[in-house]
Amino acid sequence: MDAFLTSRIISDILGGLTNGVIYGLVALSLVLVWRSTGILNFAQGAMPMIATYLGMVVFAHRLGYWPLVAISIVAGFGVGGVTERVLVRHLYGKPEINPIVVMVGFLIVLEGVAAAIWSTTPRGIPNPFSPIDWQLGGKPIALSPFSVYEIVTALVVMSGVAVLFRFTKLGLQLRASALAPEVSRLLGVRVSRMLTLGWILSTGVGTICTVLVASNFFTGLTPQVMDGIFAFGFIAAAVGGLDSPVGAIVAGVSMGIVLQFVGDFVNSNAIIITALIILIVSLMVRPNGLFTKSTARRV
Amino acid sequence: MKWLVAERRRSLSAALIVVAVVITSLLAPNPRDRVALGVAIVVAIVGVATLTIRGFRETHPVFARATLTVVALDVALFATYFFSSITNFNLAIGAAMSIVLLGLSFLTGASGQISLGNSAFMGVGALAVAIWANHHASTPMVVTLLIAVACGAFVGLLLGLPATRLRGPYLAGMTLAFAVAFTAIVNSFTSWTGGDAGLQLPTAVTPPQWLSSFFNAQTSLLRVNTMWLADITIVVTGVAFFFMANLFASRTGRAMRLVRDNEVAAELVGVSLPRARVIAFMVSSAYAALGGALWTLINNSVSPPTFSLALSITILSLVVIGGIGTISGALIGGVIYAYSTNVISWFTQHTGINSQGNLASQLPGIVFGGLLILTMLFAPMGIAGAVRRVWARRRVRMTP
Amino acid sequence: MTRGELDMRKTYARRLATTSAALLLSTGLVMAGGSVVTAGAATHTPGVTASQITIGATVPLTGIAANGYNEVAKAADAVFMYVNSKGGVNHRKIKYILKDDCYGTPGFGCTGTPSTVTQTHALLSLPVFATVGSLGTPTQDSVRSLLKSNGVPQLFVNSGSRDWNNPTAYSGLFGWQTSYNEESKIFAKYINATYASANVCFLGQGDDFGSDGLAGLVAGGVTPSDTQLYSVAALVTTQGASLAPYIARFQTDKCTVVVLDTIPGATDAALGAALQLGYAPHWVISSVGSDPVTVFGPLAAKGLTADPEVGAVSFSFLPTPGSSSAWIPWMRKVLTADKSQFPGFSSTSTLDGNMEYGIGWGVAFVEALKASGKNFTRASFLKTLTSTTFSQTPSLTPLRYTTTDHQGLNGGYLVTVTSATSAKPVDGKIYTTDSTSTGPVVSAKKLSSGIPSWLK
Repeated sequence: MDAFLTSRIISDILGGLTNGVIYGLVALSLVLVWRSTGILNFAQGAMPMIATYLGMVVFAHRLGYWPLVAISIVAGFGVGGVTERVLVRHLYGKPEINPIVVMVGFLIVLEGVAAAIWSTTPRGIPNPFSPIDWQLGGKPIALSPFSVYEIVTALVVMSGVAVLFRFTKLGLQLRASALAPEVSRLLGVRVSRMLTLGWILSTGVGTICTVLVASNFFTGLTPQVMDGIFAFGFIAAAVGGLDSPVGAIVAGVSMGIVLQFVGDFVNSNAIIITALIILIVSLMVRPNGLFTKSTARRV
Repeated sequence: MKWLVAERRRSLSAALIVVAVVITSLLAPNPRDRVALGVAIVVAIVGVATLTIRGFRETHPVFARATLTVVALDVALFATYFFSSITNFNLAIGAAMSIVLLGLSFLTGASGQISLGNSAFMGVGALAVAIWANHHASTPMVVTLLIAVACGAFVGLLLGLPATRLRGPYLAGMTLAFAVAFTAIVNSFTSWTGGDAGLQLPTAVTPPQWLSSFFNAQTSLLRVNTMWLADITIVVTGVAFFFMANLFASRTGRAMRLVRDNEVAAELVGVSLPRARVIAFMVSSAYAALGGALWTLINNSVSPPTFSLALSITILSLVVIGGIGTISGALIGGVIYAYSTNVISWFTQHTGINSQGNLASQLPGIVFGGLLILTMLFAPMGIAGAVRRVWARRRVRMTP
Repeated sequence: MTRGELDMRKTYARRLATTSAALLLSTGLVMAGGSVVTAGAATHTPGVTASQITIGATVPLTGIAANGYNEVAKAADAVFMYVNSKGGVNHRKIKYILKDDCYGTPGFGCTGTPSTVTQTHALLSLPVFATVGSLGTPTQDSVRSLLKSNGVPQLFVNSGSRDWNNPTAYSGLFGWQTSYNEESKIFAKYINATYASANVCFLGQGDDFGSDGLAGLVAGGVTPSDTQLYSVAALVTTQGASLAPYIARFQTDKCTVVVLDTIPGATDAALGAALQLGYAPHWVISSVGSDPVTVFGPLAAKGLTADPEVGAVSFSFLPTPGSSSAWIPWMRKVLTADKSQFPGFSSTSTLDGNMEYGIGWGVAFVEALKASGKNFTRASFLKTLTSTTFSQTPSLTPLRYTTTDHQGLNGGYLVTVTSATSAKPVDGKIYTTDSTSTGPVVSAKKLSSGIPSWLK
């Protein structure tokens, strides 16, 4: 294989991996909300965006990058918790369309408020990682200090969530509250607190993801920063199955890599079209996602 | 017919008609105007009189709906004669949008499915008209509109088939992906679609000679042209609403509502679930395509970037705020669409907010989004539903 | 009274009420409308009175294309206000109505109505004498037949497309700037002279802008080895990331010269992508998307300190702000006098390409108005426009229209970007060409002359 093609393939895999972990994080946070409260959170990109603005922009002049990130994550927890308590509470048990519409409305309001306060001009977030790609034998490979930062952070978060769910008591309580709320309540689990915790965690994960995206020099922070990424993350979650955290991550990462190849070897229009086709095909094969265990319909 | 039997009804209507014709001939400036005015008034009176016959709506439902449509069209077309060109233009845009809203309202309300892809279906219809007109300029407008509707229905079928087994969130996801992918699809065939720049219609839609003769020579072309556009759109809207009203009440409509409320019961009764869902999807996409097609005629051009996910969300919001599953809700939504920018700019002017600043640009979004949340939480049946509830309560109180 | 009689009375009452309402409504409409129908439009020229002429334009005051472009029409308005302050043209003041169409694209801080057709309808209902200086290729294409069918001239469209040069189909439609096609032919001459036998790549917008530009390059003797066209909608939704693959391809192709027919937002995205890839070709950028201030602004907001555009070659049909043209101080005077639209503008403020652009055609309009005399109609104004050579405007070449050529300016000089706020001529030679595909590129002396006395 000629050298150009090899470096191109390596670049596509690496670049795709960088995008893919971001999609995976978004998909994971969507799954977290769905599994813990049964709500599809359309504002999954916008809520962390507000938290990121609160953390990164409000204190931008006084603190360095890492303290700002910490503040953003805490703000993310806050936004998630408050949203669940004030807004989402009213949506449990309602017909399926209600939460979707309300969260879409919430998305619009959040983006509007952010733009009203901070305008739509992209802002740079100075950070210690250079976005310039490394070169391998004179050709750039799609890996830079910044993309390594993104990949490592995402993997750490994903593992952290996995550990939390599988190996801690809190994780068990979260899973139990979603699966069998009445029984859990009888066993002393404070179900309503668990629901809030589900949102807090999910927004926290989403905020880390948004901070990563916004810190990318070539993107910057805008109120719409997560719009496109949310679409791909949502598709990944749907393909993997809204019930499956593993499915979300696998689907996200694979989609990222596949789409990178498509964008490189076909053209950029084909990227979203391919995503649409992947979604349709996977939903036709398994209407509840590829990684979901199929449940019988209750009659 | 019953109305012949009631003596007082007949003589009252006849008297009113005579009075109306007399007043018309005194006020109208020239013979042609007098005839038009007279016809309009007679139609209105006869129509209203027919509708108020007790029990008429129950015994002849389709005829009653037709009469209502005719009366509404009568008043609307009459009004366009007097409106300014910009009002007629906004009216036309809003009426076309109300067709789209009606389609989605039907899909969500009658069959319980959610779709975020209606802007893309609008785009399909809009492009169909533009592409067809550029290759076959002599096709009559009605035929071109039907072609656009067929295209919309076809794409709706393509998407509706995989969608039959999908639950709410997954269907939302699929339609969202379609809405986002629409621009990319358009840009993959720029030689046909014109890409981002879009297409223009080869010849503008112009009024026929007999209509222009209603105006004197000094009335601007713009007035006549926009009035004609508004008239065409209003007539098509009336026909579309008439069909939908009948569909709602028909066996197919009832079957869909049953699927929405209780799938198991529907299956037991023999309704084919996938078929009902696909039909609903196709109807909704056909209506969206019709609305988009009308936009192309009104604007004389199509700009594909207009049909974005943001527009889909706007459409969904208007359906919810107007009232899911109701016909009047779609009309309310259309009016809101046509005039929301005016209302908001009036508001910013009168409250001292900087009209080119950040807050002003986001106000429509914030207000819309807020309305959407509040409506869904506190008045899930929208404005139309709320009005209906108030009306029902009053009726209950009126009977002793 | 029995229940049945009560019901019947209610039915009669209701029917009476509805029919009376219908009657009153129609009568009311007749009374209100009667006067409207008989009072037709006046027989004088629309938009023109003895003391005022009303013109309008649809421009991106806010929204996706506002950065930089929102200054253009305002600068022209500054010219109109200056002329009004001296008594107007032939004792007639100019009233310029701007409608914000957000370049036809919703979102991104748009506070106007993102539909050019709607905003043009709003202008036509005022009425206006003509639209002057509306901006954008797809936006203005979409209203050509609307304006034509209503007899409204569409003057000085802010775009270099060749679509405005179609006198047989659109007799009232006129461009102003040097077309993309002509600009690219001049670029081709420069590339052949300076970078002979280099590998050239081309990135253009996926509409007339890109295709006309490419055709001009080829006609001028440069055939790019790789041509990519980008979509504005994709650029906007991906916040610039959609251009990265194209730049990466150029790097893989080993192009040493990259021609950009891009709007400022796309120029930013291309420069940014190249920076990330460590790719540094010679950039040749269209005048549309090369203004240093407009390009560097968003990059600076993201944290960039060094301007990646420095060293790029572009094209200008107006004198650079640092040049010795007498028009430059005049422009500053006009902008300083406009306290409402350019508050705080002083002799030390940056005069950028967008302001010059607006002043360029603003002056052209004012001169055409003067040449039309005190009493004119739309037809006579257009006749004046196509039979006069305007050699006393800020542009480097004279403005000349004929009955068969409505394109506008036909030349300019090459400039190189020297800093984040300025550009300098490369060699000062003025090149002119024409809009046919084979017209020669001629090097000429400075062809425009000074400021007319009545404007000073």
